Amino acid sequence: MIKRILPASALLLLALWCGLNALAQRSPTPGSQVAGNATGDVVSAAKKFMATLDDAQRGKLVYDFKDDAQRRRWSNLPTFPRGGLRFGDLTAPQREAALGVVAAALSAQGYEKTMQIVEADEVLKQTGGGRGGPGGRGPDQRGGPGGPPDARGPGGPGGPGGRRGGPGGRGGGAMFGRDNYYISFVGQPSATDPWMIQFGGHHLGLNITLTGGQRTLAPSHTGAQPAVYQIEGKTIRPLGREVDKGFALINALDEGQRKQAILGVQMRDLVLGPGRDGQAIAPEGIKGSALTEAQRQMLLDLASEWTGILNDAAANAKMEEMKKNVGKTWFAWAGPTEKGSAAYFRIQGPTVFIEYAPQQMGGDATKHIHTIYRDPTNDYGAKWWKP
Amino acid sequence: MVEAVSWACRCLKLLLALVVLPSTACAHVLDEYLQATLVEIEPSDIRLQINLTPGVDVAQKVLAQIDRDGDGVISSTEATAYAQSLKRDLIARLDGREIELKLTASNYPEPAELRTGSGIIQIEFSIVPGALAAGPHRLTVENRHFPTLGVYLFNAAQPRSGSVQITQQKRNLNQSEGEIAFTYSPMAQTSRAVAIGALVAVIAVIAIAAVWTSKRSSARAATSVPPATPPLPTR
Repeated sequence: MIKRILPASALLLLALWCGLNALAQRSPTPGSQVAGNATGDVVSAAKKFMATLDDAQRGKLVYDFKDDAQRRRWSNLPTFPRGGLRFGDLTAPQREAALGVVAAALSAQGYEKTMQIVEADEVLKQTGGGRGGPGGRGPDQRGGPGGPPDARGPGGPGGPGGRRGGPGGRGGGAMFGRDNYYISFVGQPSATDPWMIQFGGHHLGLNITLTGGQRTLAPSHTGAQPAVYQIEGKTIRPLGREVDKGFALINALDEGQRKQAILGVQMRDLVLGPGRDGQAIAPEGIKGSALTEAQRQMLLDLASEWTGILNDAAANAKMEEMKKNVGKTWFAWAGPTEKGSAAYFRIQGPTVFIEYAPQQMGGDATKHIHTIYRDPTNDYGAKWWKP
Repeated sequence: MVEAVSWACRCLKLLLALVVLPSTACAHVLDEYLQATLVEIEPSDIRLQINLTPGVDVAQKVLAQIDRDGDGVISSTEATAYAQSLKRDLIARLDGREIELKLTASNYPEPAELRTGSGIIQIEFSIVPGALAAGPHRLTVENRHFPTLGVYLFNAAQPRSGSVQITQQKRNLNQSEGEIAFTYSPMAQTSRAVAIGALVAVIAVIAIAAVWTSKRSSARAATSVPPATPPLPTR
């Protein structure tokens, strides 16, 4: 009897071990399980948007889920061959419905941040800031094609459109502004099968992959130029909380900790920005295990400015995952530590990679920001759907 | 909250004659030549992946170095020649010894895209270090390409092999020079396989031992059985 049982047990143990490993690869990340019918809401919004389009537009909007080229076709740049539908080519009701999809996928705070980034680009266009680049050689003669619709309200009035060129004939903003944002779906909207929403333009590349109840924002780019602008005396800072929390954390470190965290180099741009999919860098800075509990909490809070762009359920779940790994999460800094100065920082852990990089190009670097958010284990939600 | 967001959006729309903070804004790198180097260190080879992005104001100057005949097309000969010129501007040393870079890949965008300031030239060099000895090593790379225009990034990639461990990275302020300290431990590469093998071996040994013990017990039981009672003699 024992003769039979023992080898069988050994085989069973081996099979169990293999099975558990496979399950660990496949099972939903705790941080990404979206409660309730949230995916259904996004699908409804997507179908509502598609219903406003004609066949040709729908054909341009939706790509096959297997289309890796489109999946990876996103950028921080204003001049980039994005796929999908351009907002400037949509009617006001269509734009309203398109933004309804984005709003359904994001938290209220994430949606607000997204719209502030878009509006910063409109400001850039209106002030002729986008000097240089294609189409930037003279005044933009076009009339305003209409302002962006509110996601949950009626379409807005027409915007003033491009009215002025940049200084010295180098301005113009044909490539800037809210009209030059694009939306596309990779895969058909589905409550069960994987698909992806891409919403992007200058300084914005949101890539939201949904697989049943799971959802991830990785990889996505946020940025802003101008990073600070005013409307009716109210100051708008699309990425203001990120920089405030970053400075709060670096200044909460003691001298020894800061010595570890600060890299002592100039960081002129993102290291793993758009186009750097699948790459990973060796971590640097100070490790979470060397931080106090309060400092770790500040680190998580800082990261939540990116993870919190997604809807609350997905964001909370991702945060739980990050909490488990906080001791293995690194924080690095480059640049001055005085609040208000231009400084780079990076958060790098087992399931998260975030960079914040002021752009020191032809002006005040604090007014021009690039950031990136990645998940080294699950960019594009690949671990949920890749064989 | 949603109402607040909508309200904010409406305000943004209606107030585009707004007051913007003084801006000398520019969309992207203008008069600089971004050169980002990612160093992949593996036991069999070391690769330098270099992404080169000329800003819109210097793109023509860079392009002139590539499209030598000025015909608006980057031929394969011109592409190779430019990569070789970059190679000459790079100095790589492993453990203090200068090492040869081998061009392994390159990708050029269309000249028109380069002129926009958004085109990225990708060039990869490989270093074949020969038999990498176990223990600590030091790789240094100096980039002297377009020094007056260049802005640089220099980073070690996370090694895919468990036998390579990045221990430290040093750079000068502008990152045109970088040093990566790493250790190579050939044993670490096989440690997982060894651990699994050992586990299987232990299970096998236990199973064999159990079978052997079981067999022996059976044999003992067989020998200790009293001999069958001899038949009673018949009268």
